[in-house]
Amino acid sequence: MTSTALPDEKTGGLTKRLTGMTLARREAWAGYLFATPALLGLLAFTALPIFASLILIFLHYDLLTPPKWAGAENITRLATDSRMFKIYWNSLRLVVGATFLNNVLGLLLAVGLNRTMPWGIRYVLRTSIFFPVMTTTASLAVVWRFLLTLDRGVVNFLIGQIGLDPVPWLSSSTWALVSAMIYDVWKSCGYLMVIYLAGLQAIPAVYYEAARIDGAGFWQQFRNVTLPLISPTAFFAIVISLIGAFQIFDNVWVLTEGGPGDASRVIAMYIYEKAFRGFEMGYASAVSFTLFIILIALTLLQFLGARRWVHYE
Amino acid sequence: MATTTGSTETPATLHKAYRKSVWLHLGEALLWLLLICIAIIEIAPISWMFSTSLRDPKNSFDLPPDFWPTALHWQNYLTVINSPDIEFMLFFWNSLKIALIVTGAQLLTCSMAGYAFGRLRFFGRDILFGLFLASLMVPATVTLIPSFIIIRSLDLMNTHWALILPSVTSAFGVFLLRQHFKSLPEELLDAAKIDGAGYFRIYWQILLPLTGPALSALGIFTFLASWNNFVGPLLFLRDWDKFTFPIAIATIRGYMGSGNQSEVLAGIMISIFPLLVFFLLAQRWIVQGAAITGMKG
Repeated sequence: MTSTALPDEKTGGLTKRLTGMTLARREAWAGYLFATPALLGLLAFTALPIFASLILIFLHYDLLTPPKWAGAENITRLATDSRMFKIYWNSLRLVVGATFLNNVLGLLLAVGLNRTMPWGIRYVLRTSIFFPVMTTTASLAVVWRFLLTLDRGVVNFLIGQIGLDPVPWLSSSTWALVSAMIYDVWKSCGYLMVIYLAGLQAIPAVYYEAARIDGAGFWQQFRNVTLPLISPTAFFAIVISLIGAFQIFDNVWVLTEGGPGDASRVIAMYIYEKAFRGFEMGYASAVSFTLFIILIALTLLQFLGARRWVHYE
Repeated sequence: MATTTGSTETPATLHKAYRKSVWLHLGEALLWLLLICIAIIEIAPISWMFSTSLRDPKNSFDLPPDFWPTALHWQNYLTVINSPDIEFMLFFWNSLKIALIVTGAQLLTCSMAGYAFGRLRFFGRDILFGLFLASLMVPATVTLIPSFIIIRSLDLMNTHWALILPSVTSAFGVFLLRQHFKSLPEELLDAAKIDGAGYFRIYWQILLPLTGPALSALGIFTFLASWNNFVGPLLFLRDWDKFTFPIAIATIRGYMGSGNQSEVLAGIMISIFPLLVFFLLAQRWIVQGAAITGMKG
């Protein structure tokens, strides 16, 4: 439908309508063209992988021999995989501990930093607390591995100075997971702080003025103004830190290598090892789908639960 | 409680006000203590790493530890850079090359799609955008295995394309920029249209310059994610000369970590040094960006 096909004697109104149409068509074409690169990326490396892993669940595939049909074998195997349940239990403890500590610390640090203080002090505090967020998880885990060594480690030296016994941070099954949690909190509480800080700064100052006029003290202001108004931020922060913590991989991979035994192995590591050490692509996909379902269920639950504690203005 | 302030100064109210201020000061003091303690804990491992990287290798495990450089053994850095078995600076170029390409590609593809979804009308737009939103829910762990099979069947194993291609776009980036494009006033575009600007000119000369904060936030965090990516290189790269920093450092620790702590730490210092400089220069935008990307997620 090009304009050259139009007979010359057509009225102005019709031409206008037709150019209007071509404009809409041109806009649509532009829309498709502009969206295409991102769409291709999404199709090739998100949509296709999801469909592929849905199929993989029903296959035995070791990369070397052609895939064989497995039926529901991979799925029924999940129920009997006691090792997987143990590792999920590790992940759960790590996720709950890290999410709780990261969010509590993040909020407290943000409240602390969101007050009047000399610019230089604020700069130094914010820089020191946020910098670990920028660094490489795997490389700093190497540093922490040195710090937490049993015999000549810095942390054990320091706690020895205050008269405590050295702690086998990385080599005991009770402490390995705690070390991973400490490392994660060290690495990411600064990020949560920044998110909470942005949330705090969005609270209008008039609320605090009103509370002060009513004679509310520091704690009452925190309890009755800050907490309700920060709850949407907190909700968001908890959702993303849960999803992130369930996928912790580099941290444990370098710090404890999942050991001793399986004491600190987490689910992302288990999936990786099943797929790329054991070459059980089908079963590993099945396990990865359980993680997917758990994450979606958790997020939905949080959205449902949010009605009880999240206050939108 | 609402009317006590300043009316009558009986001893009771004075006492109450005094108690209140004690609690106030206690809260303040605790917050200060927390802030300072956490700041020290956060920075101590990094300053220990720097100080120890400057120790003579034969003293590298000596206690007490340094949190401030006591030796200035810069040779460790030269040893790492000039190491005969591994070309350390090659990791730097690999990391930088991949991070720059990925960042450039994401800024381009995400802003283009953000413009299409936020500003243009076409059939199926909302369904397509819904696909992007839905894919935000998919954890990377789930797409890891099929992505590996795809990269392998494209014959891209052990190449940098294996790290670049899966990251040329991000659903999050599309979402972030679409929200920003959508929030710009319509009059701007009308004026441009009347002046006869085409879609590309509107995108390139009018909308992009107005999305500075969102673009820089996306750029900074894409760059960081790529620079710090560990699973990708672990999965796709086999040869030393292809390695990026994170995987190279984890591997180096394996074969020289027990012998020489100082040199490993010098290597890590080199790998995070660009981040440190960048952070000190652009802290304001980075912290702002973390808040923007965080809040809009």
